[in-house]
Amino acid sequence: METPTGKIRRGGFPLCIEKARLITESYRQTEGEPAVIRYAKAFSHMLENMPALIGSDELFVGEGASKPWGAEIDPFLGVWREEEVKAAAAEGIISVEEMDWPMFKELGRYWETRCSEYVQSKLFDERLYKYLQLGVTLPPMRRKDEFRGAYAGSGLCLSFAFTDCYTDFERWLNGLNPIIAEAEEELRNLRFFNLEDVEKKVFLEAMVVALKAVIRLADRYAEAADRLAKREENSRRREELKRIAETCRRVPANRPNSFYQAVQSLWFNQILSAPTSTHNLGRFDQYMYPFYKKDLDEGRIGKEEVLTLLCELRIKCMRPENIKLSSAKRSQHAGFAKWRNMTIGGVTADGKDASNDLTYLVLEAADRLRTSHHTISLRVHDETPEDLLIKALEVVKTGIGMPAMALDKSFIEYLTSGGIPVEDARNYHLAGCVDPAIPGKASFLAGSFFVAPKVLEIFLNNGVDPRTGLEAFSPKHHVEDFKTFEEFYEAFTNILSHFISLWHEHSFLVASYSKEYYDVVEILETAMMQDGIRIGKPLSRRKPVPPFDFRAVMVPVGVINVADSLAAVKTLVFDEKKITMKALKQALAANWEGNQDIRKLCLQAPKYGNDIDYVDSIARELYRFLIEEETKYRTFGRPEHGKIRGIGGASISSMFAGGAIIGATPDGRFAGTTLADGTASPAQGRDTRGPTAMLRSAAKIDQALCASTLLNMKLHPSSLTTREDLKKLGSLIKTYASMGGKWIQFNVVGNEQLLDAQKFPEKYQDLIVRVAGYSAYFVDLGKGVQDDVVRRMEVSI
Amino acid sequence: MYGEAGILLLVRNREYYEQERLIEGIIFNIQGYCIHDGPGIRTTVFLKGCPLSCIWCQNPESHSFHPELLFSEEKCTGCGKCVQACPEKAIRLQEKTSQTDRRLCKSAGLCIDACPNEARAAMGRRATVDEVFKEIAADALFYKESGGGVTLSGGEPLAQPGFAAGILKKCRSAGFHTALDTCGYASWATAREVLSHVNLVLFDFKHMNPEIHEKYTGVPNELILQNAEKIHQEMSIPMQARVTLVPGFNDCAENIRATAGFIAEKLSNAVPVHLLSYHRLGEAKWERLDRKNETAAIEVPGERQLAECRRIFESFGLTVIMGG
Repeated sequence: METPTGKIRRGGFPLCIEKARLITESYRQTEGEPAVIRYAKAFSHMLENMPALIGSDELFVGEGASKPWGAEIDPFLGVWREEEVKAAAAEGIISVEEMDWPMFKELGRYWETRCSEYVQSKLFDERLYKYLQLGVTLPPMRRKDEFRGAYAGSGLCLSFAFTDCYTDFERWLNGLNPIIAEAEEELRNLRFFNLEDVEKKVFLEAMVVALKAVIRLADRYAEAADRLAKREENSRRREELKRIAETCRRVPANRPNSFYQAVQSLWFNQILSAPTSTHNLGRFDQYMYPFYKKDLDEGRIGKEEVLTLLCELRIKCMRPENIKLSSAKRSQHAGFAKWRNMTIGGVTADGKDASNDLTYLVLEAADRLRTSHHTISLRVHDETPEDLLIKALEVVKTGIGMPAMALDKSFIEYLTSGGIPVEDARNYHLAGCVDPAIPGKASFLAGSFFVAPKVLEIFLNNGVDPRTGLEAFSPKHHVEDFKTFEEFYEAFTNILSHFISLWHEHSFLVASYSKEYYDVVEILETAMMQDGIRIGKPLSRRKPVPPFDFRAVMVPVGVINVADSLAAVKTLVFDEKKITMKALKQALAANWEGNQDIRKLCLQAPKYGNDIDYVDSIARELYRFLIEEETKYRTFGRPEHGKIRGIGGASISSMFAGGAIIGATPDGRFAGTTLADGTASPAQGRDTRGPTAMLRSAAKIDQALCASTLLNMKLHPSSLTTREDLKKLGSLIKTYASMGGKWIQFNVVGNEQLLDAQKFPEKYQDLIVRVAGYSAYFVDLGKGVQDDVVRRMEVSI
Repeated sequence: MYGEAGILLLVRNREYYEQERLIEGIIFNIQGYCIHDGPGIRTTVFLKGCPLSCIWCQNPESHSFHPELLFSEEKCTGCGKCVQACPEKAIRLQEKTSQTDRRLCKSAGLCIDACPNEARAAMGRRATVDEVFKEIAADALFYKESGGGVTLSGGEPLAQPGFAAGILKKCRSAGFHTALDTCGYASWATAREVLSHVNLVLFDFKHMNPEIHEKYTGVPNELILQNAEKIHQEMSIPMQARVTLVPGFNDCAENIRATAGFIAEKLSNAVPVHLLSYHRLGEAKWERLDRKNETAAIEVPGERQLAECRRIFESFGLTVIMGG
């Protein structure tokens, strides 16, 4: 099959102001009506008037923007600033039609004080403002009235503009008509004796408006396809267009008749649901399988046709929907697509292996069309077939960074220990990057990053943040005065606890205010929850919040740097007394300049990732502390009786943003450089005893207590040459799972990274190059041989 | 109950066991997640010291039975701290980099501690059987899932027979699969004792002609070939033949045919041939040991040449596996 990568646009996305314009038009006409009705009407007005665009070669349809590959503005989150758009246009990322500027500016004026970000910018008093300037919660605030610019898409921060209620895709595929009928029935049966009933009436009415609008949009696509079919001269394309028309008349209103129709229905969900920078595709190989199986049994579909559709899905997922154009995002990401996680594999409700043909086909499509979206998570369990693991690792080998391996044992343990019935726990899928979700039964509201090494830096400076000069707290004892490591550690954890409480205050404030926003914009998603209609309330107002709730998960960053730093302090300052705290602090303040001796000692201190208990136990203890502290707080939405808790593991790009604002740290790290990524990865290049030692270290962290963790392993393609190599890597993954690991993903290094490794060998101490029977660390090779490895790689991939 | 003699025997056994546990050897690396040295995920222990000195060796640090200094000139800033640290006055500064007189160096290691830039490293450390076993056993779960175990390599593990046998014995009783990567140069009595604890032998074939073998490796090959036959006939331990193709040394068709003939006829054509390609990954180490690198002139074999060799082996009815 020809891979149509040529279809993917990588820049010059046309700015789409149409969507925001239509929403605004409606909002101006509905002032005074209930907020949720206003939203439903605006949503409906928008879908009624957006162009139904059908590309000349599309097999299934649905364009999120008013122009193909258009960059949408989501006014509820805030219209981009003019200077942001101009800068992005200058960089060739987007293109703006000259005639759109006046409307763009008008939209900016209208939404400036109405978007969720504006509200978030008015929340903080002097005390919290001081905390937020430090950057312990990312990003550091610079002005008190500044918009936080805070969601995953900004590359800096997960904050409360990021939410996901986990659509039950089976419910969606079953058709919107039955859901509308359910809502209308519920409305007929409503009696009004208290305020809740009145609110339910309004909410259900809004839901019905939104659901009908979706069906109407599909109808308009059907009409457009009909029109095109009449004009089409190519008979094959004419048939395709007729098929599109027929399909859009059927779905998503009704249950699809075929796998093809199910894909179309799913795509409507993807462009219309989840008003955030992330959405998910759930357990695709499970909910789609009945449609595939039926077609296959009836001889109506072949694997090639499925692959064509899956490849087209990959292309469509590259579209720049709902993006944010902050400069941070521009500099860090080449892509602007929504983050969509597709989960495959895993177990059935009764614990059997769940993989099927589609599991393999999803991987095959990613192998053929090596795009960065949608991403794939493979759930691995004891009985995952060897062939499936090998197929997955063949895709990993291509260097596209997927699939990531979600390890069932730890996830299911986490979920069941939180009181979730085992059948539901076994049905988890991944959302966001690494977070567990239960379709139709759970929602998620991510917390922001907690930059742990910043706390250590402030602690070592006796309460003063060196970057801002702010005094964050006044210390009881100066760090120079501690006599034992135990005293030092206890004082540090007290401060850690103080900052965690500030983190929670901030989270609670933002979450409480964002609630108003999500109560309104999530009506479609709420309808897709398993009892969304019966309860008829916004998610945030349900008690308990959907059965399982993962709200306000704290995502700690750089804990491993803290563990390594504490181990260095413990061994050098307290155990062996090789240096004084004062000397260490001077070396840190000088960013090690003139203090190479001290840095060398710090580097030689035990490092996490090498199976050394001395430091691994510190990492384990720190995580235990963070989890326990975090559990003390019942931030907004957390069910009173619920046990679901823990910390998240998605570092996204916070290790760069966090590292940038932190000076040199006692682990030997230079000021401003990146922090360890993920929650369980060693600091870059600090694991020098090979992959198994690294995994043994990681398994010491009690990962079953964490909502998610992340461990990134660097691999040179030479480790993945033969089937036998892949089999062994598969076995490594399974062993890690049996030891309690939760997540492992692979970074197969390309030449760009090898060149970087030549320049910055320190970051790549762990990178192994293999030739049969021989392996060596890349950084230890002579320059000539390194060049040779780089050259050879150009040939082999 | 045992009688005096019995008790004495028990005590002796225990002493012997204690001694075996404490046998010390010298190693230069223990590498986890080795995937090309036998079945499954393995830990490979590299024993230091080798009776051969193959001119193409990519582990030159494995030759000597003593710890050695590895010096990375590119990291040296010429600060001179090592010069002051050395009790033997073996180091001096020359053109902004430190130079070590290896004849004076007694491997005290003080220069290594003194160097702020990590330009100096010790290669080789002494360890007991128990210490090595402990490191191997840490990966037990990985061996279990993958059917892996431990591989002793080198250097030449048969050159430290008591140490090697001690490690292998302990690993076997812990249920780990054991493999030995050897050049086969040892007295039969020694080889037999060590091999009795081994599940798989990775046997290196370098050249079939005794003179050429001696010229390039420092030893003739008769003993090696005799041992290969005996391992197969007397002990019937599963064997993999490992042939590293080194252009200009063993790559001529005549030698490949002779090697293939030996394996197929004197051993068995059930012995798989792992055809490895000469590579340069260890090249920089010659200089870091201040030794003359004579490997620079050796070329890396091309795909076609490897394919041709493979064809010859296969024409003898042998199964060829490219790589480990």
